[in-house]
Order: sequence, then structure tokens, then C-alpha cells
Amino acid sequence: MIRLDRVSKTYTRAGGGEPVRALSEISADIADGAFVTIVGPSGCGKSTLLYIVGGFVPASGGAVLVEGKPIAGPGPDRGPVFQEFALFPWKTVRQNIRFGLAEQNVPRAEADRRVDELLDLVHLRQYAALYPKELSGGMKQRVAIARTLAYRPRTLLMDEPFGALDAHTRAKLQDELLQIWERERKTVLFITHGVDEAVYLSDRILVMSAAPGAIKADIAVDLPRPRRREELLRHPRYQELVIEIGRMMDTTA
Amino acid sequence: MIRFGPLIVLAALLALWQAAGMAMRVETLPTPLAVLPELWALFASGEIWGDLRASLYRLAAGFVLALATGVPLGILCGRSAAVRGFVSPLLALFYPVPKAALIPILMLWLGAGDLSKITIIYLSVTLPIVYHGQQGAAAVEEKLVWSARAMGTGRAGVLLRIILPASLPELLLGVRVAIVIGLIVMISSEMIVRQNGLGYDIFNAMDMAQYRLTYAVIVVVAVLGFVLDATFERLRRRLTFWAPERQDQLPTGA
Repeated sequence: MIRLDRVSKTYTRAGGGEPVRALSEISADIADGAFVTIVGPSGCGKSTLLYIVGGFVPASGGAVLVEGKPIAGPGPDRGPVFQEFALFPWKTVRQNIRFGLAEQNVPRAEADRRVDELLDLVHLRQYAALYPKELSGGMKQRVAIARTLAYRPRTLLMDEPFGALDAHTRAKLQDELLQIWERERKTVLFITHGVDEAVYLSDRILVMSAAPGAIKADIAVDLPRPRRREELLRHPRYQELVIEIGRMMDTTA
Repeated sequence: MIRFGPLIVLAALLALWQAAGMAMRVETLPTPLAVLPELWALFASGEIWGDLRASLYRLAAGFVLALATGVPLGILCGRSAAVRGFVSPLLALFYPVPKAALIPILMLWLGAGDLSKITIIYLSVTLPIVYHGQQGAAAVEEKLVWSARAMGTGRAGVLLRIILPASLPELLLGVRVAIVIGLIVMISSEMIVRQNGLGYDIFNAMDMAQYRLTYAVIVVVAVLGFVLDATFERLRRRLTFWAPERQDQLPTGA
């Protein structure tokens, strides 16, 4: 379990003046295997919160606890996936996916097997030898997801992963992510400002308000799984949730 | 046609030179056709090789030292505010100083041999390498570093396996600038501290009023510069073919 215990973030401005409070005492428990999404207006600090959980950015106050222990920086138990893909451009698709395994000292043969497995999982087998600049946005994000899954983090930290993709590709990747999640049941902490995306994917949605960022509502998404897009879009409860959360977002902006 | 563009330009320049030489009929502007036999003789007699070797040795020695120290220093500057705090003022102070102006002092301290020339080449080419290394390292997208850190890559590993390759396109632009500066300083140091080398050859020939020879050595230097730059450019493209395209900067001399 991941526990956010009164996590705060304050930025001091470069030019001096009043420090900016970005996050104010955020507390939440993220259960193992849950798909939890944080939605909020842009600038509410939701990405910052994710970076703090990742250990990439230090909190100004409070603590992030993984299995009861406060985190000390990044770790392979929490694998990030960024909107910007953040692939290593000098490495091929295969080398990108393999990088974390090499860093974890996974034996060569085993690493090769694992990479093949992931290339199949994200349907990129025939693109394994290409470099990131030769790939479309959707393919890049598939590689990034595979690269993170490769070293088997218990938790995926996804920072608006589909935000830079066109609508069609986004829908496809959402479906693929759900398939993977159904199979592996990793804990997912997902950031988005898309309400329908949040409802479609999540077990639970935390709605944040801005200035300073705080959790305004904690909503259980009581929709059946496995989810199928066409069924869900017609589901009255889905529509209700989208409208309800959308309204909250409007009043928090 | 465009393929032959460079050749056409070269031919046009040579023709212009030839025409100017024929029109002016002065000893100080021999025509390319008059310089050609001189050039041939330089290589046929083997005279040029010793000087070419001496010049290239100094350039290479200065360059290897500059890469060995400038790359790590530049990368550290780009990633550490503390290191940058010390190095930036030095860089700002020394960058605009014409390095050739330091040659007399270095000569006093290090003698008139290779050491003073290698040192001045080293000092001149290190600066662009440090500067571009710093620019490259500072511009690395933070999320590349975060991704690696999450995979368990330590701080040294991040510098070596993430920052260094990610900075390579910018760093190598700095090296290209450094090659041009290195050639300039190589020639000028040999002109000032007369001993041997191509710069010595040029001025020595000039002093003895052997203008054809002067022009012949200048042609050698020009071809050398062109070959070094073109070779490096091929290497640079091979090493950074993966990088998203960007406008190539033209190297500027010092």
C-alpha cells in the first residue's frame, strides 16, 4: 500500500516574494492493485504530487510511505510513464526496454526473454530495431510503457500518459492499458485532466482543486470490469459519474 | 547538378585566382598553375611530411587532453550548480581572450618547444568543448534522468549512461568548433614560436620571399582543415544519427 501522509509542496519564487503553496496536506491511501486516478484542473499540482510519490521531487512537508516505510528517492518499485514518453533517443526500441533490466543486473538471457515478451505485449515486435525518432506518438508511449513494465514495478505512476496523443490512438492505448492491468493487477496511480478517461479506467478517482492543490472529493467508480468501451459509454452510471465529476472540475478551476 | 555544386564553386575560385594572378603579374600573387609544381615538389621531396607530422602531433595532443578534461568538466558544469559556480566565471573571463596573445607568456614559462604550443592549443579548444558540453548537459530532459533513476541507475550511472549520450549532439557541435579553433591556434603558435610545423613553413617561405612556396603551404593547410572538418562531420553524423534533426550551426573561428 502507498500512503500519502499530509504531503505538502511549497515553491520559493526565483525572484523572491511570497512562496507558492502548490500542494496542501494531501492524505490518501492507495490500495494494492487499485487503479486510482487523480483528476483536476491544470495547475492544481496533480503532476507534482505524482513526482513526489515517484521520489523525483521532494515534498516540503509530510511523507510518502510504501509498505509503511517512507520513500527515499526513486525506486524500481514505482515505475513512471510520462506524457513526454522520455525514451532514450540514442537507443532502439529493444534497447530502451532492456535498459532497466540491465540496470537491475538481470542475467542476459532472461533479460532478452523479458524484452521479447514485452515487445509482444505492446505489439512492437517488428519495430524492435527502430529508434524513437522513427516512431509515432502512440508507438513511443507503448515503448515507454513496456520499458517501465519490464523491470516489474509494483506501482505504475502515469503522468497524463495519453495526453499528447490523438483521440483515436488514445482510446486504443487506454484499452491496451486496461488489458495489461487486468492481467497484471499492478497498482496504478494515473494523472489526467480527462474526466471520461478517468471514469473509464479507474476504480477510484481523487478530484483535486487548485491553489493550493488539495483533494476535494474521493469517488469510488462502481462500474463492472472488465470494461468494454461501447457498453460503458451507454451505462447510465458511467454517464452520471462523468457529469458529476465534470461539474466538480468546473467549480474548482 | 547540386551534387557537383562544391566542385563547381572550387573550380570557379581557382579560375578567379588564376585570372587575378595573370592580370596582376606580381610576384606576391602567383597563379595556381605556378603554385602547383611547388606543391608537387613539397610532397615529392618529402619536405612537408616532417612539418605536417609536427603540426598534427601538437593538434592531436592538445585535443586529446582537451577532450579528456573538457568533456567531464562541461558535463559536470551542466548538472551541478556548485561546479558551474566555480567554472562559469573562469569561462566568461577566458573565452573572449585571444589565446594567441598568451603565447609569449607560455613561451617564457614552458620554453619554445612543443609543450608551449600543445598547452596553447589545449587551452583554446577546451573552452568550446566545456561550453557546449555544459549547454548539452543542462538541456537534458529531466524525465530521462527520472526514468533511469527509477530503474535503479545511480548518480554516476546517470552521468555516464544518460547525460553523456543525451548531450552528445550539442557536445559534438562544440568539438567541431574546437577543431577549427585548434587549427587556427596551431598555425599561429607556429608562426610566433618559429621552430617547425606548417605555420613555420608559411612564414619562413614568406621571409625568404619564396611566394610560390608560401602559397603552396597555405593550400596544404587549407586542405588539411577541410579534410579534418569533413572527416569529423561524417563521424559526428554517424554518432548522432538518432537525434532529432536540428539546424546545424556553422563553426565560427576565433
